Amino acid sequence: MPNLPSMQRLLRTLCLGTAMLTVLALATTGRAADWQVSLDTRLLTSDAARSFMDGGLGATRYDRNDSGIQLGRARFALTASLGELWSAHLDASAWDDKDRSPLGVTEAYLQFRPYPRAGYRLRLKAGAFYPPISLENRAAGWESPYTLSYSAINTWLAVEVRTLGLEGQLDWLGTRTGHDFDLGLTAGAFGWNEGAGVVLASDGFMLHDRQTPVFGRVGPPGTGVLPFQQFDGRAGGYAGVEGRYLDRVVLRVLRYDNRADPTSMDSVSGAIAWNTRFNSAGLRVESGTGWTAILQWLDGRTSIAPPGLQLVWPFRAQFALLSKRFGRQTLSARYDRFEVETNVPDGDGSQRGHAFTAAWLFDADAHWRVALEWLRVRSYSYYRTESGDSPRATETQLQLGVRYAFGPR
Amino acid sequence: MRPPTRPRRIRCATPGVGGALALLATLGPAAPLLAATLGITVQTPDGRALSGAVVTARPLDTPARRSAPVHAVMDQVNRAFAPDLLVIPVGSTVAFPNSDSVSHQIYSFSAAKRFQLPLYHGKPYPPVLFDQTGVITLGCNIHDDMLAYLLITDAPYFGRTDARGAWSADVPRGRYQVTVWHPRLRESQTDLERELAVGEADRADLTLHLLKSLQPAPITDRPHSWDY
Repeated sequence: MPNLPSMQRLLRTLCLGTAMLTVLALATTGRAADWQVSLDTRLLTSDAARSFMDGGLGATRYDRNDSGIQLGRARFALTASLGELWSAHLDASAWDDKDRSPLGVTEAYLQFRPYPRAGYRLRLKAGAFYPPISLENRAAGWESPYTLSYSAINTWLAVEVRTLGLEGQLDWLGTRTGHDFDLGLTAGAFGWNEGAGVVLASDGFMLHDRQTPVFGRVGPPGTGVLPFQQFDGRAGGYAGVEGRYLDRVVLRVLRYDNRADPTSMDSVSGAIAWNTRFNSAGLRVESGTGWTAILQWLDGRTSIAPPGLQLVWPFRAQFALLSKRFGRQTLSARYDRFEVETNVPDGDGSQRGHAFTAAWLFDADAHWRVALEWLRVRSYSYYRTESGDSPRATETQLQLGVRYAFGPR
Repeated sequence: MRPPTRPRRIRCATPGVGGALALLATLGPAAPLLAATLGITVQTPDGRALSGAVVTARPLDTPARRSAPVHAVMDQVNRAFAPDLLVIPVGSTVAFPNSDSVSHQIYSFSAAKRFQLPLYHGKPYPPVLFDQTGVITLGCNIHDDMLAYLLITDAPYFGRTDARGAWSADVPRGRYQVTVWHPRLRESQTDLERELAVGEADRADLTLHLLKSLQPAPITDRPHSWDY
């Protein structure tokens, strides 16, 4: 794969660049950087089919062979100021899944953050980061403060979608000028995205918390896929709007198109560009009494066009989450629905299903968090028939998570 | 629109020279002999006390005497401003010490004072002078959910209502313009101004009933590490 060395070079450059800038910032200013280290371990039992981490079609991260103690995530995050208006952000993680992915960077970017003026605020980001879609993954490390496993929509974003490029955001801060509302506009341009969509078409939607590192691989060595590739020479883009009512309600709408050329193929690796575009919308409502409700909706399609063919996989997913905070405890329930269709004659790649998630999270103190999560996914997947299995499966996973985090606060 | 509440006069409980001496004894030697108590109570539309509302009172009959400027402190503790509101006389200075270990970048784009203040741990910044009246909204460019207010006033009498929604001050007798302000009020400022006479009695009281419900209070138990 001729792209792999160049990607690895890029990854190394990105990490090295961020690390050097951080060290430089620390050396020149003598200021303490904001850093955090956390270790998240799991005790779990699962009856799920072989996980995608192991090349299977299971809809969860862990399968029936993973019951016992697992490493959820070991994470190191660093934010360093570069002068007054620039900052560098690095989020690196290690996992111990069967995909044998080494230490990876999930986000690494520079941010330009001038002071708001006359009620307007501009933010620019350059590097690798999540586009502003999820209303669920709002905690540090793009984790959900409600459940261990993300919704189907946000799991897909975690696996295949990352902005490797630039993003600008302009906000009108109405709530700081005597109004009840804030409004925001976002636009991004990105590359290294030709693989985005392949996991949807080959595995379908899943529910887990395993984020693919930038330029990382999804699945085991040899058979895994690479979502973050660039070989068609075309940049993708997105544009979105956000409205807020005080600090209670957030509404986000975003249009995403990776603008990949579906006829483009990497001549050596054989990888094909997946043209993926979607609309997403989300609504989050919070009360002053600890209630949170989140609705997210995703509707799009991914397609490839190898010579003589035009293969399309439309996809859509929704979830509703209801959560209540009781002091340091949070109880959450979520219902997910998802579907991947296809125009491939025998239904190759079609999947549909739904999932229930219930979770209890307890933030014992500033360092320790205990979480208990029950997840049940019922799904139909065409691919299961290829191995002679029933296309329908019900998979249940129970996880107890203990996380220890430390850093300056 | 509900008409302004009329000043309510309370019968003097301790008439005569003895009473005046008793009052003098209670208030101490600094209290002017001609003073009476001005009491303001603020209630929400459902009749509950509104605590933390800013009350200012300006004499209408005599030239206004300004309060002496003060040196106030608006700290940053656990990624929040402390206190959430300061009301200070015009000409005062405010220090922003930053008791957090993380940096803050305090800003205001309010007309009464525009400023930007990078606050790094252990690096004190000189206090900021506030020489114009008005409401100043404070934010942090790093932590978007941080929010606090400064109210710079030229009124000689001011303060915030207590848990019972009440504020009082000992003032010379005369007519006063009283204004009420709170960050979450939806009333226009002119709806929150009243004229009140402090006459013969020892007290003049006014209860201000808000007609519009307040904006919901900011959510405070949300972890600061979450995306706002």
